[in-house]
Amino acid sequence: MSHKRLYYQLIPVVLLLIALAVWLQPDLFQRAAGINLPKGVNPEFKQTLKIDKPCVDLHPEWRLAQNIDGVKISESRLCEPDNPYDVAAFVLGMNNISMPTLMSTNIAEDALIKSDDLDSDGDPDIIHIKLEVLELNGATPDSANVAPQYEIAPGILPGMWAFSPKLRGMSVKNFRSVKLNAILRAPSPVIRIEQGDKVYITLENTHYFPHTIHFHGVDHAFKTSKGGDNDGVPVTGEKAVMPGKTRTYELQPRHAGTMLYHCHVQTDKHLMMGLVGMFVVEENRPNNWVQTFNVGAGHVRYSSVAIKEKYQREYDLHYQSIDKNLAKTIQHSNDIREISKNMHRVYNMSESNENYFLLNGHSFPYTLRDALIIAKPDENIKLRVANTQHSSIAIHIHGHKATITDYDGVEQNPAAQITRDVFHLAAAQRLDLKLQTTNDGLHSYGEGVWLFHDHVETAVANDGMSPGGNIALMVYENMLGATGLPMIRPDALDDFFTNRYYAKKQALWGKKEAGTFSPNSLQLILFALLLGTIVGLIIFIVRGLKGAK
Amino acid sequence: MKAFTLFLVFISTPLFAAMNHGGMIMDETGMIMNHNPDILPKDCPKISKDIDITIRAGQQYSKDFAGKMFTYDKRDWQVPGCARVNVTFINDDDIRHQFMIHGLPGYMYPKGMFTIEIYGKGQKTASFIVPSRDYTYYIHCEVSQHTEKGMKAQLKVGKSSGDLNSILGLTAALTPDIYPINNTQITWLSMLISFILGIVFILYVGNFLRLKLGK
Repeated sequence: MSHKRLYYQLIPVVLLLIALAVWLQPDLFQRAAGINLPKGVNPEFKQTLKIDKPCVDLHPEWRLAQNIDGVKISESRLCEPDNPYDVAAFVLGMNNISMPTLMSTNIAEDALIKSDDLDSDGDPDIIHIKLEVLELNGATPDSANVAPQYEIAPGILPGMWAFSPKLRGMSVKNFRSVKLNAILRAPSPVIRIEQGDKVYITLENTHYFPHTIHFHGVDHAFKTSKGGDNDGVPVTGEKAVMPGKTRTYELQPRHAGTMLYHCHVQTDKHLMMGLVGMFVVEENRPNNWVQTFNVGAGHVRYSSVAIKEKYQREYDLHYQSIDKNLAKTIQHSNDIREISKNMHRVYNMSESNENYFLLNGHSFPYTLRDALIIAKPDENIKLRVANTQHSSIAIHIHGHKATITDYDGVEQNPAAQITRDVFHLAAAQRLDLKLQTTNDGLHSYGEGVWLFHDHVETAVANDGMSPGGNIALMVYENMLGATGLPMIRPDALDDFFTNRYYAKKQALWGKKEAGTFSPNSLQLILFALLLGTIVGLIIFIVRGLKGAK
Repeated sequence: MKAFTLFLVFISTPLFAAMNHGGMIMDETGMIMNHNPDILPKDCPKISKDIDITIRAGQQYSKDFAGKMFTYDKRDWQVPGCARVNVTFINDDDIRHQFMIHGLPGYMYPKGMFTIEIYGKGQKTASFIVPSRDYTYYIHCEVSQHTEKGMKAQLKVGKSSGDLNSILGLTAALTPDIYPINNTQITWLSMLISFILGIVFILYVGNFLRLKLGK
């Protein structure tokens, strides 16, 4: 009995120890700051750090003004100018270029055929165009990465689609590379034809989903001459063009202007994936050979006769956005049934966001490589702006006010044209702008490196990390370096050409982030010892009481 | 204009005394409010001590305090009751900073304040006389968010009334930020071992005792 009392006497000791434990209880997972805050750390970055050169300068010889097969191609001082051999081929057609030019391109010989000067005005009037469908950054069963790879900005590879002129040979640079040849890229190329041309556009569906082409704003009959579908809408015309099949659309536009073309199958998804491009009908002029494709949009190295009459330079500006969740639907499976389900049924466009914003297929800082507007004082520059995003854009060019000459490919009465510094485009709208570089305090404030960007601020970031999105620059030639980069503060771009910055793993302005507190080891060990003691004592009491019976 | 301002400054001390400290001394470099070198608080028969203090304000003084941006070079001052405090306030930044003290007797210092404000780099000197009571006065820079991000100090008179909150390097915040603790596997392993050691220790001691009791 006396033993039993001894054990009962130990119970208050247990309670006392429990009280002590509560009092000593350490902070296990987080702690309020006392006098001193944590010292700070650099953010942890688990991927391999990748630092890009602002300009890789692969083809400096492409920048020069040059004459290829008789086509006078203008200078393009960008870091990544268009391949002038491609430009020559797009002006003449594959049937009219020399063998060396053909060999300097990746274009199929039947991609673009120009023939028959029907009106005897010195240029071809029957144009056969063949388009394929590219997938960029799709899934691959052979690696955890995506293929073929197309970075819109450092470390950012969203799944995308694009129309492309019919190509030949390898898509990637070589067998060991996953990097694409320059011609395989976003956005879908600008297509240029002359007013009155008889144009046959064949969609060769190289993709694994059905697609069509609808010509938005471009004069076309509802049916082809043979009664086939000519509007590209599966609901009102023929069924979509199935994988491995082709369909030819016929156009003979009577009206000139900046228009669009896009896939009309599951349009919400397929358009946002990138199957949309600019379609420009140039005014009819004698001897008017037009550059049928402007791959990657941007600088037009061979403008039409009508444009050259009024302008010194011409740029196509294609604004585009990406929902990262839509982009992911093609990156996680190689079973087309799964991809189709994830894109068309699981993914819900009505709950979508726009995360990436592209100008001519790139987001800042890669826009610096190929989406600059280059200018000299006292020039007239033609800008064709198209908005293929869901949301509206409000384009602003620092230091300039430009004049809107055309809305949706229709000229505005010159007396009523508006000069302003923010250009609003709702979804699918186009504006033609006349940008004058006259330093008169109205049209231009003088030479400089002037930012131009969407003023809807969600669009000047890459998934919320700024600067990014569709930011680009208007650079005057006297401030443009040899490799096509602007002469700006030498360290100005250091942060942005890394994958760490856009992975949001770099604290800003050289500071650290707050980080964590270290655990208070002594307190933790004492507390655990105390808990052990309590448990041990309880076991001792229970066992003792049992034994005492 | 400058000559006139200088003249004003020259004559201002007696003028202000006559105006019950109601005004300010202002020029293009800054402002002094409620300068008082000579009027004694009711409870002070005479000035107990003349104390000169120099306070520097600037971004650079916060560099030893992680996560803060602006502060004074020293944030804790001690003077006896009825002391005359001659403050030389130096602004080392190119922007505006203030030395603003609250809680002084309202019958001598309108709104209970004494302030030196400097509009950019520069310095100014002015004085105030504290009452006899033991009290901790609140000093800060009232430019938006400067107090909150570090520019806060205290002046203790006599035995003081304790420390104020969130003085850099001296006291914690009243509403502190919470930070995660960087626990590793070693943390959890050492806790587990300690826990087992606690149990083993008690059982060992207990068995030893039981054996003794058994006998």
